[in-house]
Amino acid sequence: MKNLNTLLAGVFLAVALPFGALVLSGQSQLGGLGRAAGEEGGALFPSREPGQAVQGRAVYVSLGCVSCHTQQVRPAGQGSDIARGFGVRPSVARDYALQPQVLLGERRLGPDLANYGARSSKINVETLLTDPASSGAAWHPSYRFVDAAQRAALVAYLKSLRQDYPSPEAKLKK
Amino acid sequence: MTQDNHSGRPQGRPPEGDGRVSRVEASLRGPFLLFFVSAVVWLLAASVLGVIAALDLGSLQGGVFRDCPWFTPGRVAAAQQGLFVYGWGFNAFFALNLWLLSQLGRFEFRNGWLAQLGGVAWNLALTYGVVRVFAGELSGFRLLDFPREVGPVLAVAFLLAGFWPIVAFARRPTGHTFASQWFVVGASFAFPLFYLLAQLLVLWQPASGVVQAIAHSWFVANLLQLWFGASALAAIYYFLPKVLERTLTGYYLAPVAFWTFFLFAGWTGPAALVGSPVPLWLQSTGVVAAAMMLIPVIIIAINVHGTLFTQGGWTRAWNDTTLRFVSFGAAAFTLAGLLGGVFAFRAPSALVRFTSFGAGLEQLLVYGCATMVLFGASYFVLPRLTGALWPSAKLVHVHFWATALGFVGALVAWLVGGWQTGQLLADPAVAYADVLRAESSWFFMLTISAVLLLVGHVAFALNAFGMILKSSAPAASGRHD
Repeated sequence: MKNLNTLLAGVFLAVALPFGALVLSGQSQLGGLGRAAGEEGGALFPSREPGQAVQGRAVYVSLGCVSCHTQQVRPAGQGSDIARGFGVRPSVARDYALQPQVLLGERRLGPDLANYGARSSKINVETLLTDPASSGAAWHPSYRFVDAAQRAALVAYLKSLRQDYPSPEAKLKK
Repeated sequence: MTQDNHSGRPQGRPPEGDGRVSRVEASLRGPFLLFFVSAVVWLLAASVLGVIAALDLGSLQGGVFRDCPWFTPGRVAAAQQGLFVYGWGFNAFFALNLWLLSQLGRFEFRNGWLAQLGGVAWNLALTYGVVRVFAGELSGFRLLDFPREVGPVLAVAFLLAGFWPIVAFARRPTGHTFASQWFVVGASFAFPLFYLLAQLLVLWQPASGVVQAIAHSWFVANLLQLWFGASALAAIYYFLPKVLERTLTGYYLAPVAFWTFFLFAGWTGPAALVGSPVPLWLQSTGVVAAAMMLIPVIIIAINVHGTLFTQGGWTRAWNDTTLRFVSFGAAAFTLAGLLGGVFAFRAPSALVRFTSFGAGLEQLLVYGCATMVLFGASYFVLPRLTGALWPSAKLVHVHFWATALGFVGALVAWLVGGWQTGQLLADPAVAYADVLRAESSWFFMLTISAVLLLVGHVAFALNAFGMILKSSAPAASGRHD
């Protein structure tokens, strides 16, 4: 412990080894994931995001929605995500392969949104933003300052969030 | 591994009367006070935002800041965390780590202006980052929320402001080293590495898909453990034997604690991703690492609590302002380590996932341990640097009781509330609205706690600023009360 170089070398390894083993090998395992068909000759998923959804994602990030909403459905046995109807199957890494910014989230003050586009929701997002009390989700913050174009983009983004298609990994996990 | 100081007491301080002591402290005065004053200003700002965040949470649909774009719950939370962590936590540890290693290494700081330049750059970048967050330019990744151009500036500012403890270690005149020095050198060297790598893979050249989440979890674990945890441990290892004037129980184990702490901490990140769409082997690695962290936690508990539980240690700690805060922090560290190890396992982790429980565990380390230790250290260091005494003993009491009660109240709300919410969430028969209703019953307690913390921080700031303003003597005539 007298030697500064030994100390620094040890600390360097303490940072570099987990980085290599967790992050870089994670990248080498998952970095090549792209669109794939769940069945032979089937359609390729996940779908590409429409342009308006890309704008909507920016609104979602800018408002800080991720601080209360997650976008991940856990497998049965770990929480009640599927039983609650958040999704029809657990999320898999491929679902996020095309997303430039992955917003898994860490806290659920509101419901999960990973499969929002495929769920039937009684709540109208536009009303939820402008007048939460009359939308049926009175606890939701009001965002009246969001203009109509941004609201439309946000709705398009939420509608684009779907994890109801088959994919090679999801089939296995089912 | 060699161990050089078996006595378990800080050895760097020369006998009383040695002129170098005052020269060491005089040379630190400028940079220390810049870091300290900035830290306290940010702490106050973060505390006000903490109250706003609690009010926002308690009345999401009709709060005071309803429909105000700058104060959406997400933006306030991001700004509050940014200010608390990078404003208070970093500035305060810049000051304390520099003071600690200068003391232990008898380091006379001749290039204080460089550290001050770094401090100014750090605070300017932080101000810019927070304004942008309020304006809605968040990244979406917690604790990396500032716009990406802030990252490189913070990294360079860190090298100017936070790297000096390593220089102090390298230039120490004696061969002796002490646990505090290892932890500070480790924290100061590790931060720029993991911060820049995380900036690169999350913000500048984002990794593909969920690898961003893996990199982010790795970063958060490093930030909490290797910066906040290690810096706080350095102070605990210094002040406990120093003020008690005793050796630490089982101090010969400290090198094992240091190495196991640093070697396991970086692997614990994916424990926060149990159940997420990332490979199972990654999740399992995180869980195993979190369980392995029990090794350093237990050794540190033997060193710290072993000392406090013998020869009336707790009584003496309670009667000394510095040690009262520091031993509170040490107890919080042990609790954080134990709970972190247990709640990393799949079943308990699945139960409390996505609830406030995670925030509770994090705050146990960042506030309960690191911040309380920083408060305790301030009561020791400031009188020495300013040559003045703390103006008001009442404010010291207000500070301790408001922060201790406020924190414990918030902790109960986070942990018990999180556990309760987790149980309700796990039962699909309970409607989501009912889960939220149960959770919101804790928001009142969180608001009261946030107000108490603000009161405590204001008391601390008044006392500290009063003391700094009154002080005119440059060094060492003052003693801590």
